[in-house]
Amino acid sequence: MTRWLTEAVPRGRVAAFRTLVYLFVAADLVVFTPWVRTRVSVPGELYQPLLVGRLLPLPTPTPALVAVLFWALLVLALLAATGRAHRLLGWSVFALYFQWMIVAMSYGKVDHDRFGLLVALAVLPTAGRARHGDPTRSEAGGWALRVTQIAVVCTYFLAAWAKLRFGGLDWATGSVLARAIIRRGTELADLIAQVPYLLLVAQFGILAFELLTPVVFLLPERWRQATIAFFYSFHLVTIATITISFIPHLVAMTSFLSLERVRPVVWARRLVARRRAAEQTSAAGGEDDGEQPPTPPLAGPAPAVGPATS
Amino acid sequence: MARIPYRHDPMETLTPRGRTVRLGATALGLAVLLAGTLWGVDDHFPFGPFRMYSTSEPPNAPAPDTRVEGVDRTGAVVPLGQDATGIRRAEIEGQQDRYAADPTLLRQVADAYAERHPGAPELVEVRIVIRWYGIRQGRPTGRWSDETTVRWQASR
Repeated sequence: MTRWLTEAVPRGRVAAFRTLVYLFVAADLVVFTPWVRTRVSVPGELYQPLLVGRLLPLPTPTPALVAVLFWALLVLALLAATGRAHRLLGWSVFALYFQWMIVAMSYGKVDHDRFGLLVALAVLPTAGRARHGDPTRSEAGGWALRVTQIAVVCTYFLAAWAKLRFGGLDWATGSVLARAIIRRGTELADLIAQVPYLLLVAQFGILAFELLTPVVFLLPERWRQATIAFFYSFHLVTIATITISFIPHLVAMTSFLSLERVRPVVWARRLVARRRAAEQTSAAGGEDDGEQPPTPPLAGPAPAVGPATS
Repeated sequence: MARIPYRHDPMETLTPRGRTVRLGATALGLAVLLAGTLWGVDDHFPFGPFRMYSTSEPPNAPAPDTRVEGVDRTGAVVPLGQDATGIRRAEIEGQQDRYAADPTLLRQVADAYAERHPGAPELVEVRIVIRWYGIRQGRPTGRWSDETTVRWQASR
């Protein structure tokens, strides 16, 4: 069990996951949940702090506090995405993002789409130093990815559990999807809603899908990747019908993927090198003068900077 | 002893203590999350139950579509959605009992609107309206009716 929990992964995968997660935090601030910033214009009286917000002596958000949080988090997340000072920057980003989320969720609505992301932010500082493309395997990194995977699967499995707790077995035969479509459905959803029994079948399907997600850990590697692809397709349908994106969860779910194979910086370099080589060849009149183009090795170490940030 | 000639990457292992601490942290996190799912509520974020869309709705009960709207000094009806006030619809719904108990809280919504639209005519009324959509056998019927649940009017 402990072996499985800390099954080593290439450091390159940890580095790629780290870069992705911290870039997402920056993007989340600006693109995905910009409404958190609008808290500054919502009167403080509507602030109903969550339990953690009451336990920790956190002040009622003021425009100054929200602005400081926003800019500090944005800068630190971008720095953390480089993979440098992974402990100091990692813990800082975790603390600030957690505070940011308490602000976001303390006005009467709690979102459930980012448990996996919060776990990833909590464990990445413990994953050890990791350079992009480094094939050295690391158990610390393996644990960080594994618990993020567990958090992702828990989000599904325990969501089914919550449905049984709050809705009971009637959930599957009720009208929950029809409601969701009325409240935030797309035209595609309106079409689907007209098909008799389809929404009922979908409700049974969702419950079964969520209850079965832990099986992903028992599958052989090949099948696991296909299953994760299926998970992503489930969310694609959700976005296309009831416009619920769950994007922080989707980012956390990349912990299942062989991210070390995705090398945007290396690819970009290779492309530039190839183009330069082609230019040199044409400048030399098509003659090969024996000078090799500076093509980087296939899996050589890359700089510790994140992919395509600049 | 045969050694695999390829794929012999070096490995960075954990100390026994590092392993134990990680095992403990995982077990503790899982236990708290499980407790949150069994007995918790949203207030226990981030360990509360994942209760998105978890309530059971009878197959023939109408579905509520909540909105907030205001009436300004000129008598025009102003939609007060997230873009207009920065308050999300689900947050209005989440605190609906508070608004019902004390409709003057809706003044805060008017203030949030005024904050973001300094030039706009002031609001003299804010109300929470629920549009009830008919549902039959789990499918929308296309019919609806509006119900104003909470109303605040500026006293003048």
